[in-house]
Amino acid sequence: MLRYMVGMAAGLAMVCAGPARADDALKAPPGGEAALIEVIKSAPKPEKAIACKQLAVIGSKAAVPALAALLPDPEMNSWCRIALEAIPGPEADAALRDGLGAVKGKQVIGVINSIGVRKDAKAVEVLTAKMKDSDVEVVGAAAAALGHIGGDSAATVLVGALAGGSVETRSAAAQGCIYCAEGFQTAGNRDSAIKLYDAVRKAEVAKQRVQEGTRGAIVSRGVEGIPLLIEQLRSPDRAFLRIGLRAAREVPGKEVNDALVAELAKTTIDRQALLIAVLADRGDAAALPTLVAAAKAGPADVRIAAIAALEALGNASVIPTLLGAAVDKDANIAQAARSTLARLPGKDVEAELLAQLSSSTGPQRGVLVDLAAERRIEGAFPIILKSAEDADPGVRASAIDTIGAMGDEKQAGYLAAMAQKTQDQKDRANIEKALNLLTGRVGPVCVQYVMPLAKDNDPSLREMGLHVLKGCGGPEALAAVVAAVQDKDDAVKDEAVRTLSTWPNRWPEDAAILEPLTALAKAPKKEAHKVLALRGYFQFVQGSKKLSEKDKLAKMNAVLPLATRLEEKRSAIAALREMGGTGTFDLLVSFVADATVSDEASSAIVNSKLLAKLPKAQKQKALKAVVDQCKNDGIRKQAEDALKAIR
Amino acid sequence: MSRKTNLNRRKFLKKAVGVGAMAVAAPMIVPSRVLGLDGQTPPSEKITLGAIGIGNRGSYDFRCFLAENDVQCLAVCDVRQTRLEAAKNAADTRNGNKECTTYKDLRELLGRPDIDAVMIATGPNWHCTAAILASRAGKDVYCEKPCTKNIVQSLALADAFRRSGGVFQAGTQRRSLPHFMYAIDLARKGKLGKLHTVHARPMGLTAKMSGWEAPEPEPKKEEFDWDQYLGPAAYRPYNKALSNGFHFEKGGAFVGALGGGGCLEWGSHCVDLCQWATDSDGTACTVYEPTGKELHAVYPSGVKLVLRDDGWLPLGSCPVRFEGETGWVETADDGDIAASSPALLAGRHQKIGGYPANFHIRNFLDCVKTRSQPRASAEAACWSHITCHAANIALFLNRKVTFDPKTTMFANDEQANRLRSEALREPWRI
Repeated sequence: MLRYMVGMAAGLAMVCAGPARADDALKAPPGGEAALIEVIKSAPKPEKAIACKQLAVIGSKAAVPALAALLPDPEMNSWCRIALEAIPGPEADAALRDGLGAVKGKQVIGVINSIGVRKDAKAVEVLTAKMKDSDVEVVGAAAAALGHIGGDSAATVLVGALAGGSVETRSAAAQGCIYCAEGFQTAGNRDSAIKLYDAVRKAEVAKQRVQEGTRGAIVSRGVEGIPLLIEQLRSPDRAFLRIGLRAAREVPGKEVNDALVAELAKTTIDRQALLIAVLADRGDAAALPTLVAAAKAGPADVRIAAIAALEALGNASVIPTLLGAAVDKDANIAQAARSTLARLPGKDVEAELLAQLSSSTGPQRGVLVDLAAERRIEGAFPIILKSAEDADPGVRASAIDTIGAMGDEKQAGYLAAMAQKTQDQKDRANIEKALNLLTGRVGPVCVQYVMPLAKDNDPSLREMGLHVLKGCGGPEALAAVVAAVQDKDDAVKDEAVRTLSTWPNRWPEDAAILEPLTALAKAPKKEAHKVLALRGYFQFVQGSKKLSEKDKLAKMNAVLPLATRLEEKRSAIAALREMGGTGTFDLLVSFVADATVSDEASSAIVNSKLLAKLPKAQKQKALKAVVDQCKNDGIRKQAEDALKAIR
Repeated sequence: MSRKTNLNRRKFLKKAVGVGAMAVAAPMIVPSRVLGLDGQTPPSEKITLGAIGIGNRGSYDFRCFLAENDVQCLAVCDVRQTRLEAAKNAADTRNGNKECTTYKDLRELLGRPDIDAVMIATGPNWHCTAAILASRAGKDVYCEKPCTKNIVQSLALADAFRRSGGVFQAGTQRRSLPHFMYAIDLARKGKLGKLHTVHARPMGLTAKMSGWEAPEPEPKKEEFDWDQYLGPAAYRPYNKALSNGFHFEKGGAFVGALGGGGCLEWGSHCVDLCQWATDSDGTACTVYEPTGKELHAVYPSGVKLVLRDDGWLPLGSCPVRFEGETGWVETADDGDIAASSPALLAGRHQKIGGYPANFHIRNFLDCVKTRSQPRASAEAACWSHITCHAANIALFLNRKVTFDPKTTMFANDEQANRLRSEALREPWRI
């Protein structure tokens, strides 16, 4: 297939080649602009198209006539306008204006759009004429272009068009008015902008244009737009309520804030929550007393909204209010308060939380301990350690959880010692969870601190030790778990095998797990151990991001002969189907002949994403094996169809 | 490097009721319960959705939307008939009726007054134009990235949603993922000391250009509407090689031809995260300088942005790194975080890998109800895309360029300014 773009000898090939040669592309072709103009005049369209793009960067007024000549061609119109929109100077403006008379159909719209992009003030007259076009899309383009050009002349035309014609043309004019008003506003001509926005919102045009006009009328007026803003906030029409809610976030000023606070007291509960969200987004601290009051008492939904809003406006002074709410009997209020406390910004907030933590008791202390972890308040750690022995079980649980979240290897030892000391099963469960979190974060350096658990006389603590060692990772932890396979307690032995079969697969040293798993598979104490060992082995190899395809294949081949039971073969197939590589695919095919797992293997083959990428001969061989040996009609049919497709 | 615990999504969601997970849900100014999002949403409170572009990425986004209790999909739109049928079936099954309407022309879908919001997951060629059309029709928009093809489109997008008052969320879902949010929080709250450098990985600074291939027989319009597919892209005849919307006209102009798939494709995620981390959601870098394998840029605050493909920790795709005077943090798509000190990672509970979009879509839907700005608002997307486009222009010109975020122009640089925009095919305009 001819690839015009890639085949171009001039700049494009270099453009595609990469940034190192981009500068050459800019200079190419050697003949520069003159050569590109020649391409525009005489080359096939694909080359003309690219020349247009190049002229957009390096073209001058010299290129304009040749580019303009392409305007009437429906296939080239968009390409030549890429350059004509970009080339500076009055020549390109004039070419587009003149070009309007030479184009038809959709190309008229394209040329008008380009005139609008260039904001050609000399085009107002010709665009005014187009406002009377019978094609509503042309009117829309002309109105938008006039709006972008802006100024009094364009505004007069557009406002005039708001009054007559169809709703479509009036709405198009309204769109132009909005653009025009934005231009006035940017230029500092606020009064003209307001006049246009008001004209739009009072016109009989599409509702969306009225909404835009209303929003513009509010924002451009600033604080003087407050009555109009409040009108929207009270509107029964959801669309105008939405405009009010957005405009309320845009207009700055204390007066607006005051008006919103006053409105809060008058509106419905549903709208109170929405107004509170607006106050939060505005970020005016003057609203703080109102929000604190709303957070303390009133309908639950409004309280929740106010509590959430305090995140944006609050400071250390709101902490007592939030702490009170954080232990509220209404769980939703309590959760909202905890969330806000976790995110309330400011260094003074952390200092205040620390002070509260030192003096608090009961449920509030538990909340504060949680917050210390959530907010990473390092200074809170001594108090948290002390709280891990608090008489209140809730405080203890929070403290243990927090130690897991914040602690280092020494605290791992502290938690392990706590687990050995306590007989409270809930505490032990919390400690194990915390240890898993901590060791998983801090790593093998924790091993020596948690090893006492794995050597404890209590079998349940030894099991906990195995789990925690897995979280630590590393050779020492692995050796300890391997040793536990010989434990005197059967439950611990089983747990050790389970732990090995799910050993993490993240670090280079983790690959050492394959050796003990192989040993277990070769000489299991129980059949269940062999199943677990092989499953763990296969899953580890399949999931490894560090082993090459070749290494994976070798490792699978090394143990596959051990997979003799149905579950073991299924584990192997499940791993093989997820692996890439043609070698592993052949292993999958070898299972098709095994009647016990033929269906699984066949299904894995016909549904494999790898299949499409295989060499034809290998693909055919695999599918033929399924066709010949699979007993499942549906799968066989799939294979037959795929085989036919190859032929 | 410190390690993190693995916690799969199911466990995470279960845990999300606790304090430890709240950072993920925030900022949600009005809690879900207040908005009626707790699973018992009355029909009158549902957000009615139209889905535009429902192949590949679109089908994933669409499933995420359908999974939300307060969404009711009324219409789907795609240029391919087969996709339309599949999406309609999914919506009808979810709605329990047969009323989801199919369209090939997005203007017809946008013309429906009963649709509140649209999901746009067409190819990037259409993203900006479709989003602006939707804003003009009064719709709130969730739009896949990259959202724009050039600087002017980026500005027009922000203007359009400011004008309409509509809610816009760019499909930069990493803004709603806990590990990225956590790292950004460290940077923004000063836990790394004064920030001086942020790094992003553009994943290659080259891309193929969508060209004018040899004409091939055009499929029947009812099966694949080529004209509608081309949309705002300059004309070219049908060729199957160009019909993969994901790659077609990604970036558009010369600059896009070079970097649309590079700086822009991944930068709209990773540069976007750097924008947020540096509190630059309303601005862009000013100076851009290619330095061989890297591109260096500088934010108005003085923080340096480094785009590089090499030297990253093995944390997955789309990595970012933030460096301050007292510490650093790096994270990527695997969901793990590495930091200069384990203390920086204290308090972090969740790991979510695989960059799911559901949290981001939830944030969008909440904002549709409150009218707050979502995490990846039109304004934020505008400036993060501008940083990518300006970087691409520097790469294309292979020299330093200086951009003024106030005037939105390059300083005394006509060549660079010519690359700020590109004409659209008729009748489309932004």
